[in-house]
Parts: sequence; structure tokens; C-alpha cells
Amino acid sequence: MASVIEMKGNQQELFKHEIETTDMALFVRTSDEAMLGWDRQRIVDALMRETYVDFDTAKEVAREVEDLIATSKIKMITSPLIRELVDTKLVERGLEQARKMHTRLGMPLYDVDQLILHPNKENANVPHGPEATNLTLAERIKKEYALLTVFSQEIADAHMRGDIHLHDLGFIDRPYCSGQSLEYIKRFGLSLPNSIAMAKPAKHPEVLLAHMVKFAAALQSHFAGAIGWDSINLFFAPYLVGMSDQEMEQLAQMMIFEFSQQAVARGGQAIFTDLNLYWEIPKHFENVPAIGPGGEFTGKTYSDYLEESQRFAKALFDVYQEGDGSGRPFFFPKPLVHITEKFFQTPGHTDFLYHICDVASEKGNTYFVFDRGETAKISECCRLSFKLDQTDLEDAKHPWKMRYCALQNVTLNLPRIAYLAKGDDAKLFSKTAEFIEMAVKAHLEKKLFIEKLLSLGEKGPLALLAMERDGSPYLRMGRASFLVGMVGLNELVQIHTGQEMHQSKQAFKFGLKVIAHMKLLVDRFSQRYGMRFVLEQTPAESTAYRFAKLDLKFHSPKSGHIVKGDISKGEVYYTNSTYLNNSAVLNPIERVRQEGLFHPLIEAGALTHIWLGEARPSKSSLANFVVKTFQLTQNDQIAFSPEFTACNRCHRTSRGLRSSCAYCGAEDVEGITRITGYFTKLSSWNKGKLGELRDRYRNQAFFAQKNEGMAVEAG
Amino acid sequence: MGFIKIFTKAKCPKCPAAKEIGKELKKEGVSVLNYDLDTIDGLAEASFYSIRSTPSIVIEDEEEREVISWRGIVPTLQEVKQHLFPLTSSLSPSPGRGEG
Ligand SMILES: [Zn+2]
Repeated sequence: MASVIEMKGNQQELFKHEIETTDMALFVRTSDEAMLGWDRQRIVDALMRETYVDFDTAKEVAREVEDLIATSKIKMITSPLIRELVDTKLVERGLEQARKMHTRLGMPLYDVDQLILHPNKENANVPHGPEATNLTLAERIKKEYALLTVFSQEIADAHMRGDIHLHDLGFIDRPYCSGQSLEYIKRFGLSLPNSIAMAKPAKHPEVLLAHMVKFAAALQSHFAGAIGWDSINLFFAPYLVGMSDQEMEQLAQMMIFEFSQQAVARGGQAIFTDLNLYWEIPKHFENVPAIGPGGEFTGKTYSDYLEESQRFAKALFDVYQEGDGSGRPFFFPKPLVHITEKFFQTPGHTDFLYHICDVASEKGNTYFVFDRGETAKISECCRLSFKLDQTDLEDAKHPWKMRYCALQNVTLNLPRIAYLAKGDDAKLFSKTAEFIEMAVKAHLEKKLFIEKLLSLGEKGPLALLAMERDGSPYLRMGRASFLVGMVGLNELVQIHTGQEMHQSKQAFKFGLKVIAHMKLLVDRFSQRYGMRFVLEQTPAESTAYRFAKLDLKFHSPKSGHIVKGDISKGEVYYTNSTYLNNSAVLNPIERVRQEGLFHPLIEAGALTHIWLGEARPSKSSLANFVVKTFQLTQNDQIAFSPEFTACNRCHRTSRGLRSSCAYCGAEDVEGITRITGYFTKLSSWNKGKLGELRDRYRNQAFFAQKNEGMAVEAG
Repeated sequence: MGFIKIFTKAKCPKCPAAKEIGKELKKEGVSVLNYDLDTIDGLAEASFYSIRSTPSIVIEDEEEREVISWRGIVPTLQEVKQHLFPLTSSLSPSPGRGEG
């Protein structure tokens, strides 16, 4: 809220003569919504309270500012202006630190006006509306706050320059994303700090779902990113004994609609929810005592609930297959099906695989997560998953303890490193190390800040995460991950070697070398600090655009030949993470195989997108594709993305991106497809992603061939 | 004749045996490339061949195409030689990928 000082016309004359007094007849509209008279002392007070300057300096500065205002004949002065004037005086005295501490955070009037009138393009998931505007306003101030005080100047500058990108600065006072166990609310009910009513453990499945939804909403206001739920079909199972198919379907419908429509979080976005699903009983839960209605142990283990667990998983996919009221795919919650060795040993897996492939082809929802080998894995959040070590396997016996989080995500601008290295290998690798070190430093700084907030316990701002219901705080800092992401490996290689990764084996191998280097470095830092630093494929919804724009500014003309997209339209981007060029014409199996070679190095999870365009492959050809991916590649996760056009007139949804409705011909239509990790409407995309969309190589020919029986074998 | 790539790590009990095979073959004039997974080049090369366990041995033809590999296991010197020397007659892709 801007404070405004107005000089009443007739009084202006007056104080020209009384310039030596502090008795200026001005009224100050303060941010407390009160009208106060001019008082020089307020400047002194603010300086003494907020900075380390001594009393005499403060008094001098205040007097000088008063003189300036008095002689300026300005008719209206805003309070930010006074602050700026004071800051000028501090700068004149070389008091830079004091100036920094005295900074006012906020936004220009013009920007607020624009913001209220126009939608936010940085995150396609945020709708445009009053709640969204509130979010953006708050984010802007918290972002400035973060860059001024949470992070050191070195890190803040690196972010501003675009060497690195600190994600979710507007959510500086929250961790990044989290993985949940339903067992926590099954066991402890819904008893949240600061909430008025305490609910005992649920006795019925609908109530359990209600608890889950409410808890998710509470969590979403404490995390910047995704809220993932582990083995959700299994953990619901003890509540589903004896349910009819119809009741099961009903519950599945409730779950998906609740999570797709809960537009309560972070400026009216849907809660970013991941549902992790298993066809089998995951090995580490086989002998774990099951918790059922009322939070009581049922006397059985989870192995005894295979049937209910499978029926529920199936019912969820029935709902996905239908889509929403107008046949569109559900944007949230995202279903992640884990494909494991045990999956293939579990009866009924073929039918289930066909079912989820049908949904993948029809609506695109299904994510196929590949957990190979005998090691148990758990999905955390976003794409973060990790192998269970001995401590985790101990925790698995008490699944409510299995709560994980990633504290922050920092992404490196890889092409920037290549511009700076000027073709020199040694320089490229040492610069990469420097960038990683900056990311590590950023993580240490954010960790310190979050720990400060957490130390205030259940009376502090992160009460929910500090609550101790099972003897340890809800957020287990010791188990937290710190993500180091990357954008534009393909362009780094292109700048450095002259070829893109798909163009030669040599170029591809060089890409692997860079990521291997990064992996060894984060491992070394993990050891040094006793923290878990892991590489991540940043979804980079806006970062790939931001980096490209900044490099066009700082590394022109070279960057002009490198950035992807359409420079004349401003639709520029770098290729996401370790992906191959989006437009490269590659057999999809080959893309999945090649991109998958990076995945074992990227511990926090990785994904390959297969853009379907208008193609609608048969479920058997997708199933075949999925099995091959599991058996013949190292790829961690794949998703098939079809494109849709939703009509705003007849409310029907057709296949492909069209300029008019296939049913009624209306031009009032909305394109829908996957942006990075989720489906959304094209109208909300930023320019960089629109550029990428135009370039995406859609595998229509490949799948058309497959459907005609001309099976293409994996290479 | 192709060449042989040996992937090892510093702390790995079976790795010395694999390295020994490499030394023997080198004496016989085979080109042997050693990769340490704790180094950038080693880890990158291992990733390229999807090597997830050490020690691993890969035989390649002149075009750097994999002929056979042993992953997480140490073959005998004889076994390696069998696949190394009749190389010109059998350029088919790897028959078995022993996952360790
Ligand atoms: Zn229509």
C-alpha cells in the first residue's frame, strides 16, 4: 500500500518561510491507513530501527531530505519517494549496507495495473483472477526479499545474470516439493496446528478421502511445488474391503474430481498432485501391518489387500479414460504407474497394462515409471524418486514415517557455460564446477533460512511442517534433497562441438561427459556437507525461455545461431534439461533409448516425452512400446502426449490442435496438451514454450505404421 | 580386430581380476581401454554402454559396435579371447547381456 503525502495548496506558501522547522504542514498517508502529519523524526526512527547508522547521521539525513522536499515544490510525494530520497543520501555517504537494509520492496503502479488486468504467463497452471493476482503480488515482494536477504549477493547476482536460476523465489519461505504417505493421516487423523477442529482417524473411505484432500490443501500452502502420494491405491485398500464395483468407481471419481477441481492453492491453482500407483504389492510393503478404519491395525499385512488395491487402481483409470464433463483429459491429479520386475510377475498385469495404455493413447494421463532391478524405489515429488537404503527400509515398516521433501531447485544455464568457455575443454569443465558450487551455496543459504523458520516450531510460520505427531517433525530435514537442475545440455554441446547431440555419436558422448562431470561433483558435495545434492531434470517451464532471452542479450551474436524457436516472434527457448532437440526426426524408441542413457546419472528422476500429435496408437502398440522401454533401455519414465482442441461453444473435445471445432465449426476453441509435466491450455503458455510446441516432432508416422501392423523393432 | 573396454571402480572387490585380464591382453597386442567410473570419462563411457555395475568388460568391433559384454562379472581370460579373436567371422550383436 503506497503512502501518499499531499501538500495542501495554501500551506505550501507557508512552509517556504518556515523551512527550518519540522513543522511542515503535510499529511502522510501511512501504510497503516492513517493520516499523519509530516514528522522528520520518522525518518530518523526508521533509520535507527532498520539500519546500523548512528544517531547523528540519521538526524542529518532526515534534515537533508526535509530540505529537499521543502525546496522542491512537489505537490504530491509518495512515501516510497521519501524512502528513495533517504536512500540517495545514504548512497552519497557511501553507506551501501545501510541503503540495502533500508530498501523498500514493492511494485510500480503500472505493473500492478498490468497484473490485475492481464494473465500471468510464467506458470501456465495459474488461472487469471483476483486470487491469482494476490499470489503474484505477494510473490514479487517475497522474490525481492529472497534476493536481498536470504541469498548472498554473489548468488543473487548469479540468478539475475542468468548463470543459474533459483526456482520459486516467490515461495522463499517454503520448501520446494514433497512426498507423502497416506498412512500419516490414517494413523493420526487430521489434527493440524492452528486448525480449529481436530478430526480423529477416518472410519470410512469417503472420510479418508476428505482428510487426504484437506491435508493436501494444507500441505500445498507449505510447499511451492508438487505434493506426491506414495502407493495410494494400496494404502486405500484396507478401507475398500467388500465394496461393490459401483461404489469403487464412485470413490475413484470423487478422488479425481476433488483433486482436479480444488482450485484453492497458490493463487487458485489446482493442487499439484501426483498419485503413485502399483499393480503389485511393492516389495517393501509386503509384510507391513496394514492400517484400516479408525486408524487401527487390521491384523493383516498389505499383501492381503492385493485385490482391493488392484480394483481401485483399475477404477481410477476408468475415470481417467472418461475424462471430465466435456471429455477433456484431467489435468490433475497425475497418475504415475510404477513398472517393476514384480509388475510382470503379478497376475492380471497384461490387462492392466493395456488399460493404462488405452488411457495414455486416448487422454495422455498415464506416466510410466520404470523401477528396474531388485532395488526398491519410492517416488517423492515432481519426478524425484530414490532407491531405498537401509534406513528407508526400516521406515517402510512404519510407512507414516515415509515423508520426504526437496528443499529447493536450482538450475544451471548450461549454454552460458559453453559461451564462456570459448571452445576450451578445461575451461568448460571448470566453469561447470563453478556453477555447481554456486548452486550448492544457494542451497546452503536456503536451508539456513528454512531452518530458522522451522526453529520457531508449532508457533512459527511453518507450524505444519514442525508438528511432531510421531516423535519427529513432519518435515524431516535429514531426509531432504537439494536439486541441481540443468537447461540446454543440447545447446552446450552444440556451441562447444558444433553439433547437436542427435547429430553425431561424438556430440552425444560429449553431452554424457558433461552430465557425468556434474554427477561426480554433486556426489562430492553431498559427502562434504552430509546433505543429499542430486541432479534433476528441471521441468523448466519458463527457465528455458528466460535463459535463452538473457543469452540473446549477453552472448549475441553467437547465441542468435544457437537458441531454438523463432527469434522474430520472440518465441525462443533452450532444449529442456538433457533432452535431444525437440524437432529431431528420431524413431521414438531410439529417442527413449538415447535420452534414457542420461537417466541413471540424474538421480532425482528423469522423463522422456513422446509427442503424439493427432496420432491415436492402439493400446497394444503402446504396451509393446512400454515393455520394450522397460527391458531394453535405461529410461526412467515416459509419457505420451496427445493434443486436443476443446470447444467453448458445444463443449466437445476433438483430437489434434485445430483453429476451429471439429464438431460445430466454432472458432472459439482452446488447444490443450502437455506443457512440461502436466496438461494445460495453450492460451496460458509463455512464448518460449509456444516456440517449442511448434518444433515438437510428433511421432504420427511411426504410430500410424505400427497400427497397420508394420511393427518397428527396437534398435 | 576390435578392442576391449574395461570398466572398474577404486573400491570394488572383483575389479582387480578384470584389470588383470586387461593387462594380459595388452601383452598380446590387444588394444585395451581402461575406464574408472570415478572419473568423468569413465562414468560417461559407462553411461553410454548402460553399465550399472563394476567390473564390466565390453568387446567392440572396429566401428565401436558392441560385440559382447560381461557386466558385474569377471569372465575367464579364455572366454574373452574366444570372442576377441574370431571377431572377423562373427559381427552379430551381443548374444547375452549378463546383468549383474
Ligand atoms: Zn464445437
